[in-house]
Amino acid sequence: MKPQPSIARPEESPDYFSNCTHCGFCLAVCPTYKLTGDENNSPRGRLRLWSEEAAGRLPRDPWTDHYTSECVGCLACEPACPATVPYGEIFERVRHEHVAARRATPALSLRLAAAAVAHPALFGAALLPARVLRRAGFNMHRFLFPGRPAVIESTSAYVKKLMARQRPTGPRVAFLTGCLMEAMFREINFATVRVLVENNVRVVIPEDQGCCGAFQSHTGLEGAEALAEKNRRAFGPLEVDAVVSNSSGCGYALGKALQGHHRVRDVLDFLGDLRPVRRVRASGDPTRIYVDLPCHLVHGQKLSGIPANVLDATGFRWELAPRAKDCCGSGGVYNLQKPENARAILAEKSAFLNAAAGDPVVLATSNHVCMMQWHSAGATGLVTRPYKVKHVIQLLDPGEEFSPVPVQTTP
Amino acid sequence: MSPPDLELQLRRIITRGRVLVSPAQLAGYAADGLGYKNYPPDAVVIPADAEELAHFMRCAAGLGVPVCLRGAGTSLSGGPVAAQGGVIVHTSGLRSVRTVCPEGFWCEVECGVALNALDDVLKPHGLFYPPDPSSGPVCTLGGNIATNAGGAHCFRYGVTSNYVLGVEVVLLDGRVRRFGGPAGGRGPWREDWKRFMIGSEGTLGAFTRFWLRLLPLPEKVWTFRATYPDLRTVEAAIHALVAHASFPAAIELLDPRGVAMVESSQMACGLPKGSFMLLTEIDGPGVLVDARVSAVAEILRGAGSNDVVFSDEEAMRQKLWKARKAAGGLLGQLSPDYVVQDAVIPKRALAEVLQLVYDESDAAGLRAVNVFHAGDGNLHPNFLFDSRVPGELEKVELISKRLMQRVVEVGGTLSGEHGIGNDKAAYMPMIFGPDEIRLQLAVPAVFNPTHQLNPLKVFTGRRFAA
Ligand SMILES: Cc1cc2nc3c(=O)[nH]c(=O)nc-3n(C[C@H](O)[C@H](O)[C@H](O)COP(=O)(O)OP(=O)(O)OC[C@H]3O[C@@H](n4cnc5c(N)ncnc54)[C@H](O)[C@@H]3O)c2cc1C
Ligand code: SF4
Ligand code: SF4
Repeated sequence: MKPQPSIARPEESPDYFSNCTHCGFCLAVCPTYKLTGDENNSPRGRLRLWSEEAAGRLPRDPWTDHYTSECVGCLACEPACPATVPYGEIFERVRHEHVAARRATPALSLRLAAAAVAHPALFGAALLPARVLRRAGFNMHRFLFPGRPAVIESTSAYVKKLMARQRPTGPRVAFLTGCLMEAMFREINFATVRVLVENNVRVVIPEDQGCCGAFQSHTGLEGAEALAEKNRRAFGPLEVDAVVSNSSGCGYALGKALQGHHRVRDVLDFLGDLRPVRRVRASGDPTRIYVDLPCHLVHGQKLSGIPANVLDATGFRWELAPRAKDCCGSGGVYNLQKPENARAILAEKSAFLNAAAGDPVVLATSNHVCMMQWHSAGATGLVTRPYKVKHVIQLLDPGEEFSPVPVQTTP
Repeated sequence: MSPPDLELQLRRIITRGRVLVSPAQLAGYAADGLGYKNYPPDAVVIPADAEELAHFMRCAAGLGVPVCLRGAGTSLSGGPVAAQGGVIVHTSGLRSVRTVCPEGFWCEVECGVALNALDDVLKPHGLFYPPDPSSGPVCTLGGNIATNAGGAHCFRYGVTSNYVLGVEVVLLDGRVRRFGGPAGGRGPWREDWKRFMIGSEGTLGAFTRFWLRLLPLPEKVWTFRATYPDLRTVEAAIHALVAHASFPAAIELLDPRGVAMVESSQMACGLPKGSFMLLTEIDGPGVLVDARVSAVAEILRGAGSNDVVFSDEEAMRQKLWKARKAAGGLLGQLSPDYVVQDAVIPKRALAEVLQLVYDESDAAGLRAVNVFHAGDGNLHPNFLFDSRVPGELEKVELISKRLMQRVVEVGGTLSGEHGIGNDKAAYMPMIFGPDEIRLQLAVPAVFNPTHQLNPLKVFTGRRFAA
């Protein structure tokens, strides 16, 4: 197929793009440029397409829509840019315009999902059967990594129970439970609050919190601003030391929404300041942890990584996965929208697992969407040896009974 | 050839790689690092590998349109753009480091390998490839060799041409020629023809792979940063460093306008207002360089700096480099466009030429910042402007021309490392008489007689006539 150009009115002021000096530094880090070798499929190329169209020099062209849709949104181009071009912000805006103008049409399933996540209670209820199945060990999709989520008890109810039982006295945090995380991967939320409480953190869960809005901005659908407003109402007035999130993508999106109200911190980064309780493993434990760093942690939230003292506190032997700061291809819903690209990106990233030392081998990260992507590497045959995918917080988990394993504080 | 015919032909030739023809696919290939100058090509091809690139070259004559090679498109001289239309050949499909020979201190790489990607491969072997243009994260070896790129450490190590052992070139007749090889030298050829290839800016043939000379990574590096109240004192420091037996690897300078730019940004590092910032480095075996540290610090102080900081610790060294490295990016934050000139001057003329840059830019109401390789006398005056404001680009071009005239008068030359491209081609007659130009054109007359490869580059008269 060869898309045919059509003429359209420029929608953007060219000023918006003007501080790109065309130096090309961003090409080297862009997964879609590396994949295709096509300059149009790079940050510099996309910025140029948008600015040329905005300035009226380029007619509206299906190829512009194509190259826009190819961007993973990994934001690796932002720290690479010496001129600090706010690529992510520009991209989000263009993506919304493309969807609004029907230049891009997210699949019906994504549109339904976007509508559903705006109502967390409904979404949670709708996914109850899925939780039941997952808990029973039926993982019916390549993205569903195994786990045992509570089916009925919510994280909020669990926190209340735990707080009453353990009575922590330290810093007070508000926790974002998330939509998919709570509806599907609730066991990670439970582990998160256990780790926080064990480290003497008081956890509150604002009942009226909404989805972080990342889903809407990943798909270019409407509704992110309404969700941001809802979260400002829910989190804004709270007297807390921090708002924490256990998913780097959600944390990044909520951080933007709560700007000027609260600093949103990644739970692992927050724990890093607390000298977290250290798990002790049997000596000679052959488990090896390979840590991958989510894009929205390092490029979005601009953290240098997951604190070493937190990784040490898992008690396991760990190392960073090769090219840990490169994108795994998940990109929010990118792996649903562009499955071939996402798979090609993952194929390169995950190849090392086939020969990685350790038994068992664990790939640990801090974003459930990346976990799904990493799990699919095994489910679709890219990685042929057994490995587990875990959230780093799960490796710090004291367990339901705050396990009797002897613990010590990290230095 | 009409566009549909061209597309048809290209799709026949390039079957595994990509062919781009839609206006929106060509937009990204209209410019190089000089983003404000646009030359949309008629088509772009991205060969899948060296074989397909060679096949394309074999068929190129039959296309009857200009052909222009492009690496990462970071050129600052209008090198990889379709100045006369035609087809851009993007080398992004040729990205493999084919061999590293640690015993022989050489490697074999394809032309599209990014410079820093090569360094990542070499590091575990304890080796490095010295030329270090600051576009290293992305620029390709093909682009480096076609422009004979330089960089901060080329003061001590020498520029690209010192590290090229061999070049494989596909000529317009479609034949693949190899000049030199892992053993270097001229091979069986009578002349050292690889030298013709280095710096040829895509006008002689398409490079597909190279054999490069490597060095062992220096065991130890010391970085020094000093600030000076005026040009006289900083010049004294440069002269003393150049003449000293410890032979620094790099001597970099940021002028007071550059210092002011850094200090008023989020990258501020506490440099005194109005000062010149000098950065220098020594490297080599640990005991040897350690023994030279105090002598270098003394030179820097003796020339008139009371603010000399130095370190051999990685984190601190990065901090010392910060202002120098930040400068390039900050230009982009300050202004939508900038032109960077690349003149080389005898070091004695530094004060005079810098003054000319200041006077001219002040008179035109434009900002100018100087960040440059002071050790080699390779000036990089950056003129900041906004291409959307009518007349600004013309002003910058006029200043550049006057600057170049002065540079030639003081015995300097047009380009130290960025190449001539089409941006500086008009200046060539300032420095070369008709006979010298005739001699230089004799080389493409053999390799590329119709000027089908990269026309209108280096010499304005190189026009392709189908
Ligand atoms: C921020 C910034 C900093 C820079 N710093 C430096 C610096 O410190 N030192 C320096 O020397 N330069 C510097 N440059 C300029 C530029 O990066 C260099 O000229 C670089 O060598 C170009 O490499 P490239 O891959 O981008 O080549 P391109 O820009 O794509 O092409 C450059 C030239 O090489 C030719 N060419 C490319 N590939 C081939 C091939 N396979 N066969 C034949 N011809 C080919 C092209 O036709 C063109 O004439 C800088 C540029 C920027 C934007
Ligand atoms: S966000 Fe990622 S995929 Fe998109 S342009 Fe930037 S680096 Fe490329
Ligand atoms: S790195 Fe920044 S300034 Fe350079 S081309 Fe990319 S977006 Fe533009």
